[in-house]
Amino acid sequence: MSSLALLLQDLSSIEDPRLVEWDWISENFWEDIVPAIQGHIYLSFVSVAIALAISLPTGVLVSRYRKAYPPVTFVTGLLYSIPSLALFGILISIPGITIGPTPVIIALVAYSLLILIRNTVAGLDAVPAETIDAARGMGLTSSQILFKVELPLALPVIVAGIRIATVTIIGIATIGAYIAGGGLGKMIFDGINRGFPTMIITGAVLATALAIVADLLLLALERYLRPWARRRRT
Amino acid sequence: MIEFRGVSKTYQGSDSPVVNDLSFEIPEGEICVLVGPSGCGKTTTMRMVNRLIEPTEGEILIGGEANTAMSGTQLRRRIGYAIQQIGLFPHRTIAENIATVPSLLGWEKQRTAERVDELLELVGLSSDDYRDRYPAELSGGQQQRVGVARAMAADPPIMLMDEPFGAVDPITRERLQDEFLGIQQNIKKTIVFVTHDIDEAIKMGDKIAILKQGGFLAQYDTPENILSNPDSEFVASFVGNDRILKRLSLLRVGDMDLDPVNGGAEGLPRINERLTVRDALSELIGSGSTTGVVEKDGKKRLLTMEAIEELSRAGNASRE
Repeated sequence: MSSLALLLQDLSSIEDPRLVEWDWISENFWEDIVPAIQGHIYLSFVSVAIALAISLPTGVLVSRYRKAYPPVTFVTGLLYSIPSLALFGILISIPGITIGPTPVIIALVAYSLLILIRNTVAGLDAVPAETIDAARGMGLTSSQILFKVELPLALPVIVAGIRIATVTIIGIATIGAYIAGGGLGKMIFDGINRGFPTMIITGAVLATALAIVADLLLLALERYLRPWARRRRT
Repeated sequence: MIEFRGVSKTYQGSDSPVVNDLSFEIPEGEICVLVGPSGCGKTTTMRMVNRLIEPTEGEILIGGEANTAMSGTQLRRRIGYAIQQIGLFPHRTIAENIATVPSLLGWEKQRTAERVDELLELVGLSSDDYRDRYPAELSGGQQQRVGVARAMAADPPIMLMDEPFGAVDPITRERLQDEFLGIQQNIKKTIVFVTHDIDEAIKMGDKIAILKQGGFLAQYDTPENILSNPDSEFVASFVGNDRILKRLSLLRVGDMDLDPVNGGAEGLPRINERLTVRDALSELIGSGSTTGVVEKDGKKRLLTMEAIEELSRAGNASRE
């Protein structure tokens, strides 16, 4: 609450009423803005990649051993519900973890697990039982069934999960600047500290644009992965 | 040849078997239909042949060798498999679907492509039109044709078919049945065919195995013998009270031994020689006459009610 009050106070103390100084943007474009975008993409991409590497096998296992699904959902759901600022605070208080990108990535991975595991399981569940039966009856091995039938058919649902996770992560990553994660969040925090709205708005607009672009790219991927659904019997 | 030797199956957590001490042989090149009410274990019986289900007791021999001699997946690649729900891979084209087993067996591309086209034409689908489509673009009947083609892809000597024409309307089903019987005349596969429909069993089977609740084999014989000499109350009621008529539907008028016409046949109803005796009987009754004229090989012959009655009483009428 106090930080919000401080922020409002900072903003109200701004003397220059012009919100966006285009000169600042052009002057600092290559030096500050581009690296901030790159840093943000790096944080988000690495987090989603690690989260996926954990969630895919977990999702496959959990869809096989159904008893494990409720506890996995409970734990990941719990992680998902921790306020991000608190999670960052908890992480840097753990010995061995210092401020910087590492705790931010850990937190972002933790936030993605619920969505990614749930969508992996949902995607696998949606594969028709008769398709699997036919595959088995024709002599595909269990791993051939998983990689040639189940995962390809579940992939669009999994990618839909990646979309939600990515958009969520790009947003939360801005708060990571609070513990020196870098990225566009740093630009926003700097802008707040200096009472310089151009930086705040540039950071916010770019973070939003990044989320939208990522969403559209993944949507295109989702469509591309499902050629059989684009064509239907007329 | 497939031989069941004292095969039983009891599922875990159940004390009553679903298949009970089955012993019978399916000769090479014949269609054996497993038929019975639901819960009689017919699908379980079929699925034990390619070891999708393992029997609790007994063994199944294929060509004299136990089906456990090789791994389950190796075995299944050598046995065609078609099911009612078809189970086409929605993310694969028709050609890719049919090529499933050939590619598992490592066939060359060229050979596989030729085989796919050949099979599509065999099941009555133009290969140029259908090869590159996805299953969702096909009607139910077309999908079942593809399902059967896929089962035949690697030319397996044995095929398992679980209500393979079950998911379509009756008219399409009849066409698919006729077409498949036509194909079978040439390919002579050993086929285990599961259905709950006695009419389909009579039509498709060289032999019929009637199973009853609890997985007991009630009777195993040719359709003619089952219809004329049902072993038990159960079989008699399962084949239905119209079993005499059903038996007549196995024969065609053209195959009957009929007397030539000695004049005076004007005004009598004409009966097509391609009709089944059952349909011919229906036509006779409908025309109000007790005799009809059949033209076969340019000669007119007389079909009488007496001849049909005699046929229905004969113990061992031979099939076409």
